[in-house]
Amino acid sequence: MNIVVCIKQVPDTTQVKVDPQTGTLIRAGVPSILNPYDHFALETALALKEKTGAEVTVISMGPPQAKTVLRLALALGTDRGILLSDRAFAGSDTWATSYAIARAIKKIGKADLILCGMMAIDGDTAQTGPGIAQQLHLPQITFCEHVAVSGRKLTAKKLMDGGHEIVEAQLPALCTLVLPADYKPAFPSFPEIAAAQEKDLELWTAADVGADENLLGLKGSPTRVDRVYAPPQRARGTVHQGTAAELVEKLVCILKEENFIKC
Amino acid sequence: MTTIDAVSRGLMLDSLKEYAKRRIPFDCIRELDRENEFPAEILKEMYDPGVLGVHLLLIPREHGGLGGGTVDIYRVCEALARIDLGIATSVFATFLGTDPLRVGGTEAQQRKWMRKIAEEKLLVAYGATEADAGSDLVNLRTRAEQVVKNGKLAGYKITGNKQWISNGGVADLYTILALAPGGPSWFLVERDATGFSANKHEDKHGIRLSNTAGLSLDDVYVPADQLIGEVEGQGLQQAQAVFGYTRLMVAAFGMGAGCEALETAVRYSQQRIQGGGPLSQKQGYTHKLIVPHAVALEASRAYIHAIALRLDGEEHGLQTEGAIGKYYATEAGNNAAEDAIQALGGYGYTRDFPVEKIKRDVKIACIYEGTNEIMEMTIYRGRWQEHLKSRGQYYIGMAAELDALHAQNANVGADSAALGLRALARILEDCRAQRLTRHQNVTFKLGELIAAAEVAANFCKTAAAKEYNEGVRMDRACCEAMSRVCARETAFDVASQGIKLVLGAGTGSAAELSQAVSLVEIEDRQRGVTEDKDLIAAKLNETFRPR
Repeated sequence: MNIVVCIKQVPDTTQVKVDPQTGTLIRAGVPSILNPYDHFALETALALKEKTGAEVTVISMGPPQAKTVLRLALALGTDRGILLSDRAFAGSDTWATSYAIARAIKKIGKADLILCGMMAIDGDTAQTGPGIAQQLHLPQITFCEHVAVSGRKLTAKKLMDGGHEIVEAQLPALCTLVLPADYKPAFPSFPEIAAAQEKDLELWTAADVGADENLLGLKGSPTRVDRVYAPPQRARGTVHQGTAAELVEKLVCILKEENFIKC
Repeated sequence: MTTIDAVSRGLMLDSLKEYAKRRIPFDCIRELDRENEFPAEILKEMYDPGVLGVHLLLIPREHGGLGGGTVDIYRVCEALARIDLGIATSVFATFLGTDPLRVGGTEAQQRKWMRKIAEEKLLVAYGATEADAGSDLVNLRTRAEQVVKNGKLAGYKITGNKQWISNGGVADLYTILALAPGGPSWFLVERDATGFSANKHEDKHGIRLSNTAGLSLDDVYVPADQLIGEVEGQGLQQAQAVFGYTRLMVAAFGMGAGCEALETAVRYSQQRIQGGGPLSQKQGYTHKLIVPHAVALEASRAYIHAIALRLDGEEHGLQTEGAIGKYYATEAGNNAAEDAIQALGGYGYTRDFPVEKIKRDVKIACIYEGTNEIMEMTIYRGRWQEHLKSRGQYYIGMAAELDALHAQNANVGADSAALGLRALARILEDCRAQRLTRHQNVTFKLGELIAAAEVAANFCKTAAAKEYNEGVRMDRACCEAMSRVCARETAFDVASQGIKLVLGAGTGSAAELSQAVSLVEIEDRQRGVTEDKDLIAAKLNETFRPR
């Protein structure tokens, strides 16, 4: 079985703030990390590799520095890493990105299972995974917490509002993964990192994947970002203090005053 | 020469930080510090190749390690110091303990022992210091007597006591310096050797997570093939050979611990509202307690990185440079931590916040691996020879390089650094002409001024470089402002303190000396320093936001 995992390098958004005056992200001193959802998708693929002996290929689209997350993936046990990097990709929205990645997956050839993070923490769109499935005309199962493979049958545990849904599909298929509660991403040891440095990391351009440049970058992107801003802070609530009995009495008074209850 | 690239190095640092975040959060470290407890399990885990394998960095690839270079190891030392300087010291003791083997071991010894350290995750200790032999190893009392069997040297019996040995009570393997008939020599001693014992774990001011103990050796027998290098009398040269390198690692400790304290203070200052606004917006606070330390620590980083690159290249020794790095960066770290306590006010004085612990910890970096006064002496000795050999031209030549740099890039204060170097050359020459170096305090003070002038000059070169090294987190505008502040203030310090030194110990006219060191011109360069400090403070607040 061949598994392709799509990953992205993102700024650690827990440390990013929006400049309220300019509306731009303050990136100074903010480290770049592997998108946590993609990290879990990668670990899911590596667990399947351990069970089934699958070959895992990891692919990322981004500037040359994105090779860091591919190296991380190789250190964690991925067999092959591909970086899609070309000026023609710059400015691509989720649709153009899906197109470029789908072209790369076609070039890889046989891909039985494609795993993506549910979304990237920098854009929060959750569109690229479904976009790739659409481009490749594959069945897709989104919001998966767990993925199992038996023969050509895929079984996924999909997160729903208030519960889970067990969904089956025939391979080839694409799944996007959500983060399990208390997820702590695996990190490689020093020798694993040093060994990953010896592995080949392939660099592919738009031409290498046979992509039509009109469908890439700003030209190929139907989405335009109008502006980015931090939502205004809500007014603070009122805090009342006292004994339980006093507080209940106070609460009832407020509810009456606000006409929520009548008596 | 390292084989590890910057991407791998970055990933290793990420893994180390992630491990520390999960296994030894601050609450855990604070408790171990309170209990004066060495976290043996943590150290074993950090050495486990399935978890981190941090010790493999110092072992050559041919012996089962990763063959890390100076840059790799100083970056790890810096990261460890940010986590806990006690743990950092314990890891470093293994680095240090293997140094005599790395430098002086025979091929067979390296193959056997390095592989053993790599595979068996051995903690190593470096046993040189004794009660009467610290930096002055000539007073070494521990003896190694030859044991001859059938007319052939079979081994040695070692007897003596060691003091202040990091990992002393917990190591698996010790490198012990002892006086053999042929002179001071290093021996490999295993923990379970008969007659060998470790004393109690010291109750220290700081680095309480690091085990420090004395060692007793009573007729401890070691086979002849455990004499490092298998030739007697090489011990002091083997110890000296790595001082440039080992002191640079302690420099990284000072810088790492200082940066952690400084960043804590910067983040705190943005949340602490006093007098109608955050402390981070108040010049009286930032320009006293924050900015000077940010500048000194960044200058330290630039210097450590430059020397590490040289050691990873073709250069060996660099003992004076190692001493400059150690002296400057550990003083910078110690001062930053001291003022971080002040910056956090009452909170800083409590154990609930990390800065008081960092301050207790980082003080050791000014003491071990040669006290900073020994560093002042080493720096003075090294550069005094250069001054004499070059007939006073050593710093004049360096100043000309800085002038040339200023012609290419006028934003980094290289003209001020050049003025500082020329002032230094003049002060050194006055000291020579008046024979002032017969006063020990003059020589030590010269060591301090030399370190400051060279670090400032190097900072200008780093700030003007096309690309910054991977450890720099500030942007170009901020680094240039830091470099300007460093160059300008250092030039003033060198000139004014140099005048004070010469007039205090010798004779001469203050007016003539002031003119000779271009004091007025240097004072003139102080224009704009406040504006630069404003910019640095703003950039620090932008980079280190409250968490």
